[in-house]
Amino acid sequence: MSFSFKGKHGGSHPDDNKSRTSKLPIEDATVPKIMVFPVSMHIGAPAKPVVEIGDKVKAGQLIAEAGGFVSANIYSSVSGEVIAMEKRPTVGGESDAIIIKNDYSYTMADPIVEPGNAAGMSKDEILDTVRKAGIVGMGGATFPTSVKLSPPPGMTVDTLVINGAECEPYSTSDHRVMVEHPDEIIKGINLSRKLFPLLKHIYIGIEDNKPDAIKALEEASAEFKDITVRPLKAMYPRGSEKNLIKSVTGREVPPGGLPAAVRCVVLNTSTIRSCYRACELGEPLIERVVSVSGTPIKNPKNLRVKIGTPMDSLIDDCGGFSEVPGKVLGGGPMMGKPVSDLGVPIIKGTTAITVLTPEEAHIGEEQNCIMCAECVNVCPVSLQPILISEAFERGNIEKAKELGAMDCIECGNCSFICPSKIPLLDNIRAAKAAIKQKEEA
Amino acid sequence: MAQAVDVKGKLRVGPSPHIRTARTSSWVMSQVMIAMIPPTIAATYFFGWWVLVMVAIGIVTAVASEYIYQKLTYKPITIHDNTAAVTGMLIGLSLPVTAPIWMIMFGSIFAIIIVKQMGGGVGKNYFNPAVAGRVAIKAFFTPWLANWVLPGGFFGSGYRGVDAVSTATPLEYLGDGAQTVAAEVPGLWDLFMGFNLGGNVGETSKLAILIGMLYLIFRRIINPKIPILYILTTTVVMGLWANFNFDFMMAHALTGTLFFAATYMATDYSSGSLTPEGKTVFAIGAGLLTAFFRIAFNYPGGVGFAILIMNALAPSIDSKLMPRIYGHKKRPAVKFNRQSENN
Repeated sequence: MSFSFKGKHGGSHPDDNKSRTSKLPIEDATVPKIMVFPVSMHIGAPAKPVVEIGDKVKAGQLIAEAGGFVSANIYSSVSGEVIAMEKRPTVGGESDAIIIKNDYSYTMADPIVEPGNAAGMSKDEILDTVRKAGIVGMGGATFPTSVKLSPPPGMTVDTLVINGAECEPYSTSDHRVMVEHPDEIIKGINLSRKLFPLLKHIYIGIEDNKPDAIKALEEASAEFKDITVRPLKAMYPRGSEKNLIKSVTGREVPPGGLPAAVRCVVLNTSTIRSCYRACELGEPLIERVVSVSGTPIKNPKNLRVKIGTPMDSLIDDCGGFSEVPGKVLGGGPMMGKPVSDLGVPIIKGTTAITVLTPEEAHIGEEQNCIMCAECVNVCPVSLQPILISEAFERGNIEKAKELGAMDCIECGNCSFICPSKIPLLDNIRAAKAAIKQKEEA
Repeated sequence: MAQAVDVKGKLRVGPSPHIRTARTSSWVMSQVMIAMIPPTIAATYFFGWWVLVMVAIGIVTAVASEYIYQKLTYKPITIHDNTAAVTGMLIGLSLPVTAPIWMIMFGSIFAIIIVKQMGGGVGKNYFNPAVAGRVAIKAFFTPWLANWVLPGGFFGSGYRGVDAVSTATPLEYLGDGAQTVAAEVPGLWDLFMGFNLGGNVGETSKLAILIGMLYLIFRRIINPKIPILYILTTTVVMGLWANFNFDFMMAHALTGTLFFAATYMATDYSSGSLTPEGKTVFAIGAGLLTAFFRIAFNYPGGVGFAILIMNALAPSIDSKLMPRIYGHKKRPAVKFNRQSENN
């Protein structure tokens, strides 16, 4: 935990709790008998199933195709038989899901493109392959990457920012990918050059609590003079897209705008790696690295996981629970989503499973605001969270909007830091919902 | 999937963030009290054990009056947040050792009931309760206040009531248009350490206050710019006034309630500014007003009035200096006064 004087910092320093897994090499997770593929594991329209109950599928076979421009293909990560199509709980709500019974033969489907040709691909071929592979933002946002890589006409991109900040406490999946596969990340970056002919700067932003990742990427990128590995002072939420852009370029994305509005594209380290693997190896997105950590986890691990693996299988891989957990999260403790059922599958955006003890997840008794201004000091977008929260509580939606409620990125710093344990973010979320409702009416 | 621990129905699913800082508001306020221990020890050393009685009376009266007020008005009891205790401790420390018991009690009751609770309660009150309580005492009871009583050591004094011999305060020689240090003013070392100084018990030893200030800064309880800018502004303005006569400048920095108030009172959350730039304006404004009162008047209560005036201005300062939101070109155009129920 780093020390700072009280004052405006635009971020907080929760205990990072990363040391449990940051030095552990990635291991293969056990692949269970039953795999669950929600058709909605990305932002945008749900994918449309292209298989039926009883169908035999191969590993890497398309099982649901993108349901629109902003959507993504879904592939089976195992070979076996489709045994059910039904609603299943997922991280972030219920979704229709394709259930596949693993036959453990791992019969592979044909690659999505001829392997070994990435270097010769044209811009359109690359975009098409990324779209076909079903790649979405793997840092948690799950926005379809092909859409991100094709900015609206009239917008030029001169800066590519690779997000290796990984500012969420406990999470170490990106960290391990950077340490173990820096070459694939750099090859992915080099591939993306074709997409942005006006590209001038390439930054890889990494928090300075990961010196081994910084070193690995500096070495891997040594021969490319335009790639800059940028160590960033560890602070939550350094890795939020808007703040990362500001940290490395000094530019600010306008309200409601895309990063392309300030000539930037931001991609997570695992995402760019998947783009490389899709183009070079013809591999669709069926696997990702997930860190499983937290006090109640017996042996925390970084696991290479087939998409669709239920969480309880990974928790078994880590030796199970050593004590009763209070909360199990898909993601980290600041922005992760809680699950009530451990049968929830790993999806493309699941960076980590974080398990908290009831004490760690305890939210103390709410007291009156003492106006300490900590929420103001830690807000990364310079809001006055307490003012928005109070305006909402008084029913003054208009005031909440004027105070910038819609600019909130929901990083959770205000609620985290509040010594009076006021549910500031809950109130701001409610204010945002009320503003949207009012505008639609 | 055999797990040693059955979690069915046991997992909580509240919204993010899922962790909270260990800090609580009660803890934060208790740190302010801890930071007042050095000046309390210094005061006890100089003025005697009676100081401890004064502090105890201040705290007990403040907490009791908050409790009784909230009971009578059917409001939730908030004494466990420690804010009332901080106010009581400040009142106990900001009176001379001769202050009668009823006066300390009056100050605490006035601060808690009139200023804090009737001003909206914790986090809402416009004025710093302790400062207002002290100013009220000065306004109503000056004849009973022997301000400048020389210390008599731990056993030497105790409560001496209104019979104690009092003299003029150093500020009466330094203020009211003076530009040099009169011979009656103690030396800078004595002013800093608190040797042979009279006055309100808590404010005598600047060294002790400095220790408390550093404690609050390193504990991340107060924003360091508030006490530093406040003291610096007053000192620099006094320097400008006296052609940078070093002794005069420093005597002003180290005299009166300036150090004590800049550390423990101007940094009060409720009555200060909320916004980062507002805090800067608040501190500099208080410094300028304090210097003005010292130059213009022969009145030792300038610091109190300076803080109260800035308290009154703080909500408008905040609404003018609302920080520019990320990605926006201008500050949000919104009038906001969080202390008013109408917003």
